[in-house]
Amino acid sequence: MAAAGGGSRADNGYGGQQARRRKGPGALATGYLVIYNVVMTAGWLVIAVGLVRAYLAKGSYHSLYYSIEKPLKFFQTGALLEEYLLIAKYLPGIVPSSVVLTAFQVMSRVFLTWAVTHSVKEVQTEDSVLLFVVAWTITEIIRYSFYTFSLLNHLPYLIKWARYTLFIVLYPMGVSGELLTIYAALPFVRQSGLYSISLPNKYNFSFDYYTFLILVMISYIPIFPQLYFHMLHQRRKVLSHTEEHKKSE
Amino acid sequence: FVSSQVEILDWETKKQLCFLDKVEPNATIREIRLMFHKLHPRWYPARQSIKLDPKGKSLRDEEILQHLPVGTTATLYFKDLGPQIGWTTVFLIEYTGPLFIYFLFYFRMTFVYGLDERFTSSPHPVVNLACICHSFHYIKRLIETVFVHRFSRGTMPLRNIVKNCLYYWGFAAWLAYYINHPLYTPPSYGKKQINFAVIMFLLCEAGNFSIHVALSDLQRNGSKTCKIPYPTKNPFTWLFFFVSCPNYTYEVGTWISFTIMTQCVPVGLFTLLCFIQMTVWAKDKHCTYLREFKDYPSHRMPIIPFLL
Repeated sequence: MAAAGGGSRADNGYGGQQARRRKGPGALATGYLVIYNVVMTAGWLVIAVGLVRAYLAKGSYHSLYYSIEKPLKFFQTGALLEEYLLIAKYLPGIVPSSVVLTAFQVMSRVFLTWAVTHSVKEVQTEDSVLLFVVAWTITEIIRYSFYTFSLLNHLPYLIKWARYTLFIVLYPMGVSGELLTIYAALPFVRQSGLYSISLPNKYNFSFDYYTFLILVMISYIPIFPQLYFHMLHQRRKVLSHTEEHKKSE
Repeated sequence: FVSSQVEILDWETKKQLCFLDKVEPNATIREIRLMFHKLHPRWYPARQSIKLDPKGKSLRDEEILQHLPVGTTATLYFKDLGPQIGWTTVFLIEYTGPLFIYFLFYFRMTFVYGLDERFTSSPHPVVNLACICHSFHYIKRLIETVFVHRFSRGTMPLRNIVKNCLYYWGFAAWLAYYINHPLYTPPSYGKKQINFAVIMFLLCEAGNFSIHVALSDLQRNGSKTCKIPYPTKNPFTWLFFFVSCPNYTYEVGTWISFTIMTQCVPVGLFTLLCFIQMTVWAKDKHCTYLREFKDYPSHRMPIIPFLL
C-alpha cells in the first residue's frame, strides 16, 4: 500500500526529536540518519529522473518499468532495513503503533515489487505498474527529504505540507496501481502454477498462490481505509498545530 | 481500637468511587474488593484492579491494609479489567475444540473432503496412530486442567478466549486436514520413523505429566507462594537440573515427535510457533525465578539445557 507521507509517524518524524538534542551521543546517530535519508532521497530521485528520461526517449508511457527496475528493487528493499531499525529500536522516538503500520506498508511494497512484479514477468508491461511506481516515487522523495530536513532542524513548511497533503491523491493512486497489477497477474499465476504446491507430496502440504493473491487483494478492503483515515487524522493534527504555532508568533 | 478508612478512586478520572469507613486495619485486599463489589455490583472482584498508584501494579488479594504504605485513610485506585473468565473454563474450551475438530477430519465428514470421500478411512496405519496420539494429548490436557493444575491467577480477560480458540482450533483444523487427507503420503522412512516418533511422543507426554504433577505438589502447602522446583525421585523430573520450565521442554518434544510421525509441514509450523511461544513464557518464568530467589540454581536455562 503506497504510503504517501507515511503519516503514521509522530509529528516531526523521527528526526524532530533527535535534532532537539544537539549535544551528546545523539550527534553521531543523527549524522548516520542524515546520510541514510539523503541517500534514499537521492535514490528515489534517480528513479524519478529515470522515468522521465525513458518517457521522453520512448515518447510513450508504456513499459517504463524496465528503465528503473534495478534502482526500484534496490531502494524499495532498502526500506526493509529501515523497518528493522525501527523495530529493533535503533531509531528513536517512534510511537509504537506506527511501527506496525509502517511494517505493513513496507511488507506490502516489497511483496508487490518482488512477489508480483518481478515474479510474474507478463505484468511488467502493464500500465498499472507505472501507476504505483509513480505514486511510490513521489511519496518517497517527499518522505525522505522530510526526514532529512527534520534531522537538520530546518524543515520548510512546503515539505511538511506536501508530506501530509499529497498522500490524499497518491495513496489511492498507489493502491489502485497495486490492486490492478495483482489482478493482472492472476491468470498467469493460475496458468503456470507459480509458487504453488499441490497434494500429494511427501511434505503433506499444499499452497495455492492464486488463492493467496486473491486473499491479499481482499485484505486491502479492511486495511486501506484504516490507514487512509489515520493519515487524514495525522494531517489535521500536524497542520493545525503548525498554524497555531504561527499565530502565536 | 483504631479503624481505618479507605477511599477508592478511579485511576484515570480520580473521581471517588467509594468511601469505606470502619475498615479493620488487618483487612485484606480481598475483603476490600468484596466491599467494593457490594457498592458496585457490576464490578465483581475478579475484574477489579486495586492499586496504590494509578499507574502501578495491581495489589494481590492476600495483602493486608496496615502493611501497605498508607495512613489511617488509605487512598487506593481502581481500574476495570473488563469481563473476566476463569482459567479452568478457558482451558477446557481451548482443549475440547481441537479434540473434536480432529475427529471431523479423521472420520471424513461430508463437507470436508467432498462427497466421494465421506466416511471413508485411510489405508495408512500411521493416520490412525496420529489420531490416537493427538486425541491422547488433548484428553491428557483436559484431565490435567481439571485435576492437576493450580492456577496462580483465577481469571483472564474475556477477549483472550476468542484469540486463543482461534489459534488452537484453527491450527487443529489445518493440520488435521492434511493428515487425514485422501492424498496423504506416509513418512519417507516408514516404520522406523513412525516407531521412533511414537516412543519419543510417549516419553515426552510422560515427562510433561510428571512435571505438572511436581509443580502442583509444590503449591499444595503454601497456597500462592512461589517455591523453587527441584528434581524428585521421578527420573522425568531430573530435567529440572538443567531447565526452569521442563514442562515446556517436554511439550515441544511432544510436538516434534508428532511432526516426525506425520511428516507434515503444517504440523511442523505449529511446532515452531509453539516453540517460540513457550520460549517466551519460559524466559519470563526464568526471570521471575531469578528475581524472587537469591539462591536460584545458576546453571539452569529457561527451556533448552545449556542453550536457551
